[in-house]
Amino acid sequence: MGMDRERRGVDAPPLLRRVEFHILLSLASGERHGYGIILDIEARGETAVPDVGTMYRALSRMVERRLIEAASRRPAPDAADERRNYYRITEAGRRVARAEVRRLEALMRAARLGGLVTKAAK
Amino acid sequence: MSRERLVDLSERWFRLLQRLYPPDFSDDMGTAVVETYRDRARDALKRGGVIRLAALWVRALVDSVRNGAGERARPAVLWRRGGHWGRDAELATRRLLRAPALVLAVVGTLGIGLGLFAVVYTVVQKVLIEPLPYKDPDDLYFVWRDYRAYFDLSRGWLGGTDVAELQKAGGVIEGASGLLRQLMTFSAREGADATEIAVMIASPNLFDVLGAQPALGRGFAKDEVGPKRPPVIVLTHELWNRVGGDRAILGTTVRLNGEPYTVIGVLPPKFGFVRNASLGPPQRADAYTTFNINLAETNPGQGSYAGLIRARRGTSPQAVASSVDAVGRLVDARDFKNKGLKLYPVGLKPDLVASIRPALVVLGFAGVLLVLVLMVNLASVLIARAAQREHEFAVSRALGANGAAVVRATLFEGGLLGLAGGVVATLAAIWGTRTLIALAPLDLPRREAVAVDWRIGATVIGLGVLLGLVAAITPATWAARATLSSLLANSAVRGGGGRGRLRRAMVVAQVTLSLVLLSTGGLVVRSFDRLLRADPGFQPEGLLTMRVPMPPQFIPKVEDALALQERVEQALRTIGGVTGVSATSTLPLTASASQNLVRIPGAPGNTGNADRDAPLADYMGTRAGYFEVMGMRLVEGRGFDRVRRDGVRDAVIDRNLARQFFPTGTALGAKIPFNNQIVTVVGVVDQARLYDVHQDGRPQLYVRAEDFGYRTLAFVVRTRRDAQALVPEARSAIRQIDPRLALADVRTMDDVVGDALRRQRISAVLISGFAVGALLLAAMGLFGIVSGSVTRRRHELALRLAVGADYGRLVRLVLGEGAALVVIGVLIGAPGIYIAGSLLRGVLVGVSPLDPLTLGGVAVSLGLVTMIACYLPARRVLRIDPAQSLRQE
Repeated sequence: MGMDRERRGVDAPPLLRRVEFHILLSLASGERHGYGIILDIEARGETAVPDVGTMYRALSRMVERRLIEAASRRPAPDAADERRNYYRITEAGRRVARAEVRRLEALMRAARLGGLVTKAAK
Repeated sequence: MSRERLVDLSERWFRLLQRLYPPDFSDDMGTAVVETYRDRARDALKRGGVIRLAALWVRALVDSVRNGAGERARPAVLWRRGGHWGRDAELATRRLLRAPALVLAVVGTLGIGLGLFAVVYTVVQKVLIEPLPYKDPDDLYFVWRDYRAYFDLSRGWLGGTDVAELQKAGGVIEGASGLLRQLMTFSAREGADATEIAVMIASPNLFDVLGAQPALGRGFAKDEVGPKRPPVIVLTHELWNRVGGDRAILGTTVRLNGEPYTVIGVLPPKFGFVRNASLGPPQRADAYTTFNINLAETNPGQGSYAGLIRARRGTSPQAVASSVDAVGRLVDARDFKNKGLKLYPVGLKPDLVASIRPALVVLGFAGVLLVLVLMVNLASVLIARAAQREHEFAVSRALGANGAAVVRATLFEGGLLGLAGGVVATLAAIWGTRTLIALAPLDLPRREAVAVDWRIGATVIGLGVLLGLVAAITPATWAARATLSSLLANSAVRGGGGRGRLRRAMVVAQVTLSLVLLSTGGLVVRSFDRLLRADPGFQPEGLLTMRVPMPPQFIPKVEDALALQERVEQALRTIGGVTGVSATSTLPLTASASQNLVRIPGAPGNTGNADRDAPLADYMGTRAGYFEVMGMRLVEGRGFDRVRRDGVRDAVIDRNLARQFFPTGTALGAKIPFNNQIVTVVGVVDQARLYDVHQDGRPQLYVRAEDFGYRTLAFVVRTRRDAQALVPEARSAIRQIDPRLALADVRTMDDVVGDALRRQRISAVLISGFAVGALLLAAMGLFGIVSGSVTRRRHELALRLAVGADYGRLVRLVLGEGAALVVIGVLIGAPGIYIAGSLLRGVLVGVSPLDPLTLGGVAVSLGLVTMIACYLPARRVLRIDPAQSLRQE
């Protein structure tokens, strides 16, 4: 049953957008506020950092879809201790992110088998 | 500048950029976005100084423009995905349920207006447009001969040779069929009652050309034509039902004019072929058979066939015309020594619509006006509603509701009301059409087919939604602008200001439109009244007519037929209450006479111009006493004597012919060569009109029926009794003479006249329906305005009462307000009447488009109805109790 639901999660649209996946990735390790997420993505260094507007539109959509939820508003140490809105990942968000990771892994495997990427390149 | 100061400045910029986002988003996320930008700005300053900060400013601008636009478009996207439909529908429904009066008003208005529109649309569609149940009707054409090189006939029947040539033509002409319609005496079995039916004698490919197949049995085979063809017949569904509707009829033998025919097929019920005629309306047939002659071997000079061709799919009318023209040139060269005979095709649909175009234009015009009135009415109701909800709008706007959301809600409400109205209108139309058919004031042809179908229903509902949306646009934009401050500014004079002017303008527009519609309706009705009163040249009241066919198959000798005619006339004369009986080959207003060129050698009116001196005239044979029985006017001379003398060939001509050939003297005694004999003019009559009730047709020539061996005559019986009541006695009297004699077309002359006026009657009834509908709608609009005005001015009126004004004066005050609107509407509408009048010119008979009597009547009735609509709500003034009202305020 559990398997089933997860598989449905993978196949069923809408899939995650890139920015949404990054947000889930950042929140997976703990609650963060908006700028914190941006900094985290920046630190990961794998992609162009999303614009603030783009990210907040994604956050608002993801809250609607219950992938994440608003945590408390509290002082942020990395923003001069001003109060910031924190977000946290939900169980559903975690599942969807995992499904996305599996999809990427499958793609990676396929790319290796197809000779697009060599093991050494990893 | 300190770093914190720069960060604060940046924050103001970011805050400004927030305006690019829709309010609901910035309400939710705005602060967080600005805070995050603030964090970034602080970072940027730390890492790269002012330059880096400037870059961030630009980036923030680009970001906000892009995402702001994206977020604004999002509701639309979500809407399209159906995300908010349910919620919006639920909210709108709930709001509407709380305003039953509004819903009733709108749905009622739409129900009346659109329902009326739908009824008319249905009738026009089913009766006038749609009787073309063939495959690809656009590729079907009738071909006619243009005889104008010979005489004044531009639409004549084809010769059999022309049809044969069209069949050989090929190219874009895929198939051609000749058609000849004949009335024949039919009996399903030996000894069964004889009836007269219309038989279409055709080429065997007729059903292929039409793209139709019998529902039972088969159609004609290719070789079932010509002198040795087997006598086979295909029955229409209707005739098949009349003779019992038994499948076993296939293979049995029926009799046509006494000769046996084998039934090989029965057509499906929807096969409604009509053959267009050279003159007069298209005609149906009850059964189909094939030619027992070879068309190619007929006399080219004799035109008696309709030619129906099917063009290759999608061929342009021009290409068809040039192919037919080529055939025409070939025929002209071979059979007519290049004298200039032409052939030309006319598309089935253009042909059908052309004859009713003037009426269609007027109806369409009236329909558009009615829909306009409806829309104005709807808009004013919705504006009134928006006015009531102004308070609510302003408060919700002040609480941060999105302007677009208010617009959307108002539009949605309009659409929903329109939908409900459309559904009610469709139901009303279904019911209205049934009632119309049942009451049958129109005497519609194809009445069984006249019903609202799903396409009409969908059109009406769609139109309702569209009207609702369009009508909601004004109040929607207006509502979106409502703010608390505007409300406060207006609160002293609630409902005053701009919107009041808008509503007034709308009522003026309604009055204007209904004035134009009413005058159109009035003129059409009056024109129809003129037609009803027109003098067709005979007196139709108290006349019964019936045709008694005497085909050669069972009355071989002409003398026997003539003797039978005499016996029929005697028998009819003995019926009680009958004052006169005679007979004619062609009844008036049936457009079914034959034509011939008339020359009167030696007459003083001859000009030497051969064409002018040989006019084409309708000729017909009549028995003695015909002019007297019909009540026609004898201008000079006499009619035919009861006693025939050997060698005497009398003729009677109409006044027009007499005037042409004998402009000054008498026509009596003139000799006219006719049908290889010479006839002598003994009388001149005014026309019993053959085509239109109100105007003379071609010149007429009457000969004595017995002199030229007319077999089948229509008898006319004048009675003091109700003509219709005579039918059973007439029937049994004729059956007693010979049971094989069939009786056909038993109609009172009043019915014959009514049939001739059918189309005008349809137009008149429909247009007056439109006009009355529009008047009702305008009255409803006025009622709303005046009653709204009384409510709005309650305070002021109460104040006036309190300081001593009397009630009568206040009623007059309120009435005056309505009256002023009516007067303005009438003034604006006056030029509209003129425009409508010029549109009507082609339809009106005997009435000027500016007929003062009609327009005066319209003005009076408009004034009366609108004043009543104002007076009813104005009386509510009387119920104002000043003390109570003022206390409440």
